[in-house]
Amino acid sequence: MTVAVRQSADRRHILTVEHLTMQFGGLLAIDDVSFAARDRDITAVIGPNGAGKTTIFNCLTGFYKPTVGRLTLHHPERGDLYLERMEGYEIPQRAGVARTFQNIRLFPSMSVLENLIVAQHNALMRASGYSIGGLLGWNRYKAAEREAVELARYWLDRIRLTERADWDAGNLPYGDQRRLEIARAMCTRPVVLCLDEPAAGLNPRESAELNELLIFIRDEHQIGLLLIEHDMSVVMEISDRIIVLDYGRRIAAGTPREIQANPDVIRAYLGETEDEPLPPAVVKDLERPT
Amino acid sequence: MEGAENPNAKTLRSEFPALVKEAGLVALVVFGLSISLVGLKIEDVPGGLDVITRFGQVAAATIIAFLGRLALALLREKRPLLVFIGGAALVLVMIGLLAGDSFHPEWQLSRFFPFDSTVVNALVTVFWSGIAIYAGWLLWAVSTKTRSVDSAWAERVGAGIKGRAYVFVPLLLVLAAVLPFLPFADRRLLDIAILVVTYIMLGWGLNIVVGLAGLLDLGYVAFYAVGAYSYALLATYFDLGFWICLPFAGIMAAFAGVLLGFPVLRLRGDYLAIVTLGFGEMIRVILLNWYKFTKGPDGISGIPRPTFFGLPFTRNPPEGAESFHSFFGLTYSPLDRIIFLYYIILILALVTNFFTLRMRRLPLGRAWEALREDETACRSLGINPRNTKLTAFAIGAMFGGFGGSFFATRQGFISPESFTFIESAIILAIVVLGGMGSQIGVVFAATLLIGLPEFFRELQQYRMLAFGAAMVTIMVWRPRGLLAQREPTIRMSQGPPAEERG
Repeated sequence: MTVAVRQSADRRHILTVEHLTMQFGGLLAIDDVSFAARDRDITAVIGPNGAGKTTIFNCLTGFYKPTVGRLTLHHPERGDLYLERMEGYEIPQRAGVARTFQNIRLFPSMSVLENLIVAQHNALMRASGYSIGGLLGWNRYKAAEREAVELARYWLDRIRLTERADWDAGNLPYGDQRRLEIARAMCTRPVVLCLDEPAAGLNPRESAELNELLIFIRDEHQIGLLLIEHDMSVVMEISDRIIVLDYGRRIAAGTPREIQANPDVIRAYLGETEDEPLPPAVVKDLERPT
Repeated sequence: MEGAENPNAKTLRSEFPALVKEAGLVALVVFGLSISLVGLKIEDVPGGLDVITRFGQVAAATIIAFLGRLALALLREKRPLLVFIGGAALVLVMIGLLAGDSFHPEWQLSRFFPFDSTVVNALVTVFWSGIAIYAGWLLWAVSTKTRSVDSAWAERVGAGIKGRAYVFVPLLLVLAAVLPFLPFADRRLLDIAILVVTYIMLGWGLNIVVGLAGLLDLGYVAFYAVGAYSYALLATYFDLGFWICLPFAGIMAAFAGVLLGFPVLRLRGDYLAIVTLGFGEMIRVILLNWYKFTKGPDGISGIPRPTFFGLPFTRNPPEGAESFHSFFGLTYSPLDRIIFLYYIILILALVTNFFTLRMRRLPLGRAWEALREDETACRSLGINPRNTKLTAFAIGAMFGGFGGSFFATRQGFISPESFTFIESAIILAIVVLGGMGSQIGVVFAATLLIGLPEFFRELQQYRMLAFGAAMVTIMVWRPRGLLAQREPTIRMSQGPPAEERG
């Protein structure tokens, strides 16, 4: 399956990362990285292991406070929001940034449906009058709950799990858990969705289904997607733009075609061809006793 | 006969020595333990202490342990016939002895009892009846071959209780409602019932914190103490009644919960447990040392009793006032007050339960459970973990406070002695053994852990053995708690599920 190259020049930016630097003690995990993600685009962040991809995600979603840098979310309704100043839980709540995790983090002993309802916590909380109205049995809350179930049903239909809505989420097969986590993130009604290696551990068929789901989210829900991925078939097929990191630095950015042709990327990420010598830094690494 | 069914089965003769050796080993352990614990007893006699020997009982314990282990080993090898005959014979002899002794004490049948204590003798009989019944059931199952004999039957019974909650729950409710008027309801039974229901209520309160929100709280007794002292101090300093103080006691305890929770709820798991443990001790030490305010180790006495819409339960009301019995034209009975206390705690407990069940199906309750499952995922969904935990902590503490003020009004006297760590441990054990988050599990666990030791008061200091035995049995039988299944709070197929009550 190939995706026609989309004209993305007219899209406005939804997320701007400027001079992001993250230092853990003596380790510089991210070194002055800047990039921007456009609305209704799939932006992939790739790079070898330890390049700092997940660290960027953790900064964006409030799990880490960046050492230096500005992370601006251009919210369509609420204007510019500075993510580095927000508490972790405020980022999904107020800025509309949702995320999934590299190692799936569902609520395993809650049902599939409950997972999707919990994702709509803040809206339901307001409707229940912060529990007081809910305890008194307000109709307003009952209506809000029905609405929440409808949104959940919409996403369950989309990921074909409606039949298993009452299963414990932890009992689902691995591929279903991956898609459920994406559906759960979408139930927060985000403007940016960050996916941390969504194709990890999926077989080719599930991987193709995932591509379809991500393209559906981009085209139908018109939000920005940010993607960390190792699986090149996913990255090259569905990404509109690719950012390449190596040792915490941005070494390239562009369309999939540009990235595939970029010599720096080939050297850093796809590996050396056999007749070329290894770069001195790598040789030094190999000789260092472990 | 069994050899024909299974050609690989070893003959009884060939495996018997191994079984005897196994049973002998157990008997040896029992002998080693009981020779000092049971065999020797130091007693006060005129002129000093004397060592009394009870080697007969040691021998009885060893023989019973040997036979019991042998029976269990035979059952494991699926050879129930011998066990059934032996067990039934033993039970019949014991029942005969026990019955004979209670009807004709002059026959002095008690000489033939294996143990001095009637309760222990009865327990041995019950234990052997269980073995004999199980052996008989195995025999029947093997002969009819209609049912598969497997060890998962206990698992199914536990699951069945939950599945038939719609039968059990109304039954238990009716039983609880009419208990004081049953013919055998005497003062002792009612006192035990009040105690059990108090612990059920505390278990339900702690279940919000531990079972739903997954915050391991080892200092729950602190909130119980805050509630008790709030009521006692308000009542003695300002002369206020129970019903006015009850909400204040709850609010004070909830406030204490927030006060503790604010700094410590960023901790997780074991660390939180240790800090709450420390907090529980802090409250007790403050109560002990703030002598001017709390009267320290002397405690607070003369705490007013609750009134029935202003009518006290006293025999002789003060001049010009009415009391409960005179107002309703009844003859005075000291039991009236006990029955009234029983209904107060029953209603408080049911309110706690109703509140929890309702909360579970609200967004806040679901967020509690989600926090228990995965805090990081909660944060990524925009749930504020601190506030959510604080509400769980405060609400759990509030119910602890209600329980505490009930305790104060029931006892009429409180001192820091009543709020030691063991209370926290017992309440936590009730929640964990009942099956974390299960409301009806708490009822069963509280009945087992509180009711049993109370019924075994005769065993004096050894009655805590009943507590331990109940705990071990549950852990072996149902390691995840009595009723650990969790019902979803909302279903796609047939709307919200029927409410689990109890």
